[in-house]
Amino acid sequence: MSPETTPRARRNRKTRRAAILGERFASAAITAGGIGTILAVCLIFFFLAWVVHPIFLSPTVQAGDELSGAAVAEVDRAPWSMGVDEDRLLAWTLQHDGALELVDLATGLRLSVQRPFGDESPTAASFGIGTGERAAFGFADGSVRVARIEFLADFLKDDEVSEDVIGLEVGASAVHEGGVVGRTPTGQLRLTTLSVEVLERYELGTDAPVVDIDHAESPAGFFLTTLQEDGKFVVARVRERRNLMTGKTTRSLVQTVLRESADPLLEAPREILMDGLGQSVYAVWKDGRLEHWDMRVFDAPVLREELSLLEEGELARVRFVTGKKTLAVADDRGNLWTWFPARVGGEDSDPTLRLARRFEPGDSAVVALQPSPRSRTLAVSYASGLTRLFQTTLGDKLVELECEEVLTTLVIPPKEDALLGRSSQRLWTWEIEKRYPEATLTALFRPIPYEGFAEPEHFWASSSASDDFEPQLGLMPLVFGTIKATVYSMIFGAPLAILAAIYTSEFLSKRLRASVKSTVELMASLPSVVLGFIAALVLAPLVQDILPAFLSAFLTVPFAILTGAYLWQMLPDHLAIRWAGWQRFLAIFLTLPLGVGAAVVVGPLFESLLFAGEVEGWLDGRIGSAFGGTFFLLVPAAALVTVLLMGSVLGPRMRERSATWTRAQVARFESLKFVGGTLVLIAVAAVLAFLLQAAGFDPRGGVLDTYVQRNALIVGFAMGFAIVPIIYTLAEDALSEVPSQLREGSLAAGATTWQTAVRIVIPFAMSGIFSALMIGLGRAVGETMIVLMAAGNTAIMDWNVFNGFRTLSANVAVELPEAVVGSAHYRTLFVAALVLFFMTFALNTLAEMVRRHFRGRMHAL
Amino acid sequence: MVWLTGGSLGLCLVMIFGLLALVAHHGGRTFWPRPIRLVEDLQGNVLLGEVTESDSFAPDEGLLASLPEEHATALRAEIAAGDGEVGRRLLRTENFELTGVHYHWIDDPFVAEERTPEWALVVERRDKGRFYGFPTGFLVEGRRLAETPPAIWEKLREHEGAVLERFDRALQLEEIDLGRANRAMNDARLELREVELDEGIDSAAWRAQKVEHDRRVEGVQAEFERITGEIGRLRAVNANYQLELETVEGQQTLVGVADVVRAVPVNQLGLHDKLSVYLDRWWEFLTEDPRHANSEGGVWPAIFGTVVMTLLMTVVVVPFGVLAALYLREYAKQGALVSLVRIAVNNLAGVPSIVFGVFGFGFFCQILGVGIDELLFSATLPNPTYGKGGLMWASLTLALLTLPVVIVATEEALSAVPNSMREGSYACGATKWQTIRRIVLPRAQPGIMTGMILAVARGAGEVAPLMLVGAAKWAPSLAVDLAQFPYVFPERSFMHLGFHIYDVGFQSQNSEAARPLVYTTTLLLIGIVVVLNLVAVWIRARMRRRLHGAR
Repeated sequence: MSPETTPRARRNRKTRRAAILGERFASAAITAGGIGTILAVCLIFFFLAWVVHPIFLSPTVQAGDELSGAAVAEVDRAPWSMGVDEDRLLAWTLQHDGALELVDLATGLRLSVQRPFGDESPTAASFGIGTGERAAFGFADGSVRVARIEFLADFLKDDEVSEDVIGLEVGASAVHEGGVVGRTPTGQLRLTTLSVEVLERYELGTDAPVVDIDHAESPAGFFLTTLQEDGKFVVARVRERRNLMTGKTTRSLVQTVLRESADPLLEAPREILMDGLGQSVYAVWKDGRLEHWDMRVFDAPVLREELSLLEEGELARVRFVTGKKTLAVADDRGNLWTWFPARVGGEDSDPTLRLARRFEPGDSAVVALQPSPRSRTLAVSYASGLTRLFQTTLGDKLVELECEEVLTTLVIPPKEDALLGRSSQRLWTWEIEKRYPEATLTALFRPIPYEGFAEPEHFWASSSASDDFEPQLGLMPLVFGTIKATVYSMIFGAPLAILAAIYTSEFLSKRLRASVKSTVELMASLPSVVLGFIAALVLAPLVQDILPAFLSAFLTVPFAILTGAYLWQMLPDHLAIRWAGWQRFLAIFLTLPLGVGAAVVVGPLFESLLFAGEVEGWLDGRIGSAFGGTFFLLVPAAALVTVLLMGSVLGPRMRERSATWTRAQVARFESLKFVGGTLVLIAVAAVLAFLLQAAGFDPRGGVLDTYVQRNALIVGFAMGFAIVPIIYTLAEDALSEVPSQLREGSLAAGATTWQTAVRIVIPFAMSGIFSALMIGLGRAVGETMIVLMAAGNTAIMDWNVFNGFRTLSANVAVELPEAVVGSAHYRTLFVAALVLFFMTFALNTLAEMVRRHFRGRMHAL
Repeated sequence: MVWLTGGSLGLCLVMIFGLLALVAHHGGRTFWPRPIRLVEDLQGNVLLGEVTESDSFAPDEGLLASLPEEHATALRAEIAAGDGEVGRRLLRTENFELTGVHYHWIDDPFVAEERTPEWALVVERRDKGRFYGFPTGFLVEGRRLAETPPAIWEKLREHEGAVLERFDRALQLEEIDLGRANRAMNDARLELREVELDEGIDSAAWRAQKVEHDRRVEGVQAEFERITGEIGRLRAVNANYQLELETVEGQQTLVGVADVVRAVPVNQLGLHDKLSVYLDRWWEFLTEDPRHANSEGGVWPAIFGTVVMTLLMTVVVVPFGVLAALYLREYAKQGALVSLVRIAVNNLAGVPSIVFGVFGFGFFCQILGVGIDELLFSATLPNPTYGKGGLMWASLTLALLTLPVVIVATEEALSAVPNSMREGSYACGATKWQTIRRIVLPRAQPGIMTGMILAVARGAGEVAPLMLVGAAKWAPSLAVDLAQFPYVFPERSFMHLGFHIYDVGFQSQNSEAARPLVYTTTLLLIGIVVVLNLVAVWIRARMRRRLHGAR
């Protein structure tokens, strides 16, 4: 080629601008993108923590606006009760003389005063805790009247109101037609008014004045209890039936007399109280003595117990907290306790009162107790002006404040965002941010004496339809469920995976190894929803059907494999060597169906011999003795003992003698040893089981108990599918990475393949296998769909293999979509996610560290 | 001990193949037309249906006592001779709206007579599930045109095409034209609401908009009535064609021909016809919407949802995963911090998927989504647009979930590129980015592909996080709709094969009847995931070969 035709390559010594720009841009983009991506991943943890953190903040309190402390009409006696609406626009006060006044909280002005009972003044009153509940009043003539005092909300159209009301900003309010109008955040006008309805009138006892009254609204009816000046103590039940045709309500009243008249030697009770279901009536005396009347059979009340609520001092106040089950009791020295009925003597015993909590004592006599309508929060005021809020279930003090005056009446508004108190002449307000007092660390992770529990317990019950339900946010049952799922699936999966990995890496040819390994890896990619579906809808009913055979398979399959092994030893030398490859694997493979077949045959036999003919009945504890189950459980342990015994007793002696034997002779002897060993095993297990039974040990109630279709056994089996491939792959990798010169050296020194595997390869790969186990554990901890579908999802804490459980992950999956965003429940579910995050992160980090250590050792060689 | 290890491996293999075989068996046979049996028992009850399962049980004494004497004696002898059990079969009898049950167990000793009648039909109906029975008449406008089964069959064949055409036309009108009218009306309302929110009610702008709104609504209203009229007309014509069917108990019922998805006289079919019915049912399963509360029909929306979600996820995860890996491997200074980050990323691959779901729910739906709603979609509030689970949030959540997989795989692929190549490139004067783009990335491509496919396989099979971020049991409209601007709706919730399995198998009211379909869905899902994995394995093998070749 001539130089003319090829243009001279012009070398550009300067880098093109485009290249420089591209370089800069790429490096910036990759750095930004890379760091950004990594940060995004880290964001997960920080976001979870950010959602969780408010539950660790303490509640705060601050003095209300300038109207707090404004003077109101002076009264000499504390009012019967007070109420505030949801938006804190209005407050009503029922004075002791029966006057009901309504105050506009924005201005402090009194809007109206009415007398719902005319000239009469109630001599006793009882109010519901929740909004919209009825109130009951007793009068001097012995009559009782029921009334409903509540706030009504009504939305107004813009053309219905005057100009200055239309101009209201969001959040502002104005007086309108006897109520208050406010503009809601969505821009609507809402009118809040007070409605007072005096409903029925009843005559319960004599015509002596009613001294004290209480009532309960339950599905069984409306209950009233009254104490009159002459000592008559009556409980009445009002049944309300609505005629569907006419729409009229007919009422029928039945009553039971607890005391006909006063005991002249005793003074009258200070207070009478009735629980929310109308099933218990309490009478409390000044010295703290309490009578508990059991009204579960209405016509036949039983004086269940008499006890003393106080240690010393005099009763100051006693009230129910929300739910009307727990009694808050306060004395004149500032002490405060809660009591609730619980079945202390076991499931079948009658409920009796037990002391639940003792609260931080105040500095002077308790003046007023007021429960919150929404939660287990109790406001307490003391004679010194000290006022506190307590969380009653946990016993925590939420906030404390000092007032210059004694607050004789307290009220917590429905949104629990404030506390209102009334002294003899002023109305005080405090703004409160309550946060999440029901979800403290103690509540999440410690046993708590929840209402009605005989003992403090870990308990998870997050939501319910009713308003006065108390969420029980103990995470421990879920953590327990997670651990249970993990343990049982590891018991099943870990040995299987590791043994399989050993066989693959040490005894299979290279070609077979590759295809077997990718098959098992394929198993890892099976979606867990498929495993869950199969486990719950195919496996669970099947296993229940063939339980004896299924259980026997755990014994017969290994037994069949071992039998096969001993028979294989009988093969002539040349065949044994020639068939050591896939033929042996095929033979092993064929023993599996034999084992399963044996299980089918032996299963019913086991059932009739060990489990009194019916496994499920035996598990229930209805039939049979402890022997069978103990025997069954002891077989693996006995096998281990037997192997060790045989090894240490027979081994050394036989080694010398058998040196001269032929292979066939050794094989025959070994088989004999195997048969003998099996018999010894059975004998050992039987003797041990017998001894244990004699000692009173019964596995039922522990790991064995009543059979439930969706249980830990099923989950363990199904989860095996999920964790076996992971452990298998990683363990196999670790085994294969052991340098081959180690193996070759061992083989050259005369060791068998098995000896090489056990003495050289496995110890060397131990840390790799361990890290494989950790990773498998991590997967089992977080697995969701399998447990969600196959574990039954009841949050209980027992180790029974045949019972279900509820894991953290399944719980989150089920409850998070329903949880109210930002509620304690919502944040608790985030705690659950965080716990899962930490559990798996810790396991994986541990595994990673071990693996690095292992790699280092590998490099050292 | 060797044998025990081998046995474990055998057991693992048996478990895998057993599971696959179980699913393949159940899933594969769901659509096979099985003979319809008419079974008469000793009490004279007759049942008609197909056998779906058979097993055996030990009859108790009460059962034996209820039999006539001679049968009981014979049966006792039979039981004593065998293993103490007798057979029974599960008959799928359906006709749920008449009988209230889907299945009947029939105990073999109680069977007096059993045959497969020639004209027993299985009718798959559009809204009531299956019907097993006999044709007794073909009605057009109330007149009985045919009475004998063959004649009815012929009439059915004759009119089917036209009826179906009208049905499809009505459906199209309803879904597309009516939908368009509805949307127009909704848009008008939303625009008015937007003006109301911006300018306040009764402002001048609002009044102007109100006039516009009324004008538009009026126009749409007319269109609306025209379409509903047309639909009504088509439906009315179709309603004239009816098939009269009789259950085996003699109850008669009328089924509109338009309601018949497929009527098959199974007992007359040869192998070839059965195969065509089988394939036809598979085709329906893959391409149609679910019917009858997800227990019949197809899973097309679920397949579509799974695929679109996975695609979106891949589009997000691959660039970012590769960026992160490039940064970690090529740009970041290798040191303690980077190896710490690497460990952390590795560990994230082991964090449970539900935790990612919680993050997606809390961050994407509740914070980002609610924020977007407040900024852009305030007119539709309080109905959330983005402030709930949806396709986009699900894809992003799964992208986060699979990010570690892609990062790790890409990093491995990058580190497998020999340094000599990089050095060679630098020696030729290439810049770092040029080296990466021209030398490193092409070499690492198969590895990146493997990572991507593994991520896709994991993403396609993952269900737990989707339960929180947007998978729905029934999503009426697909997230991609070419008839409607802007064609892609990333905020819509979607159906997903895995969630479909969970939902139909566990949450559905008649999960028993839907069980066969769940198996088929499972088969489909496993198929997709296994194929993806095999592709990954294949690519990996090819890559290894190529690398070996390069050396």
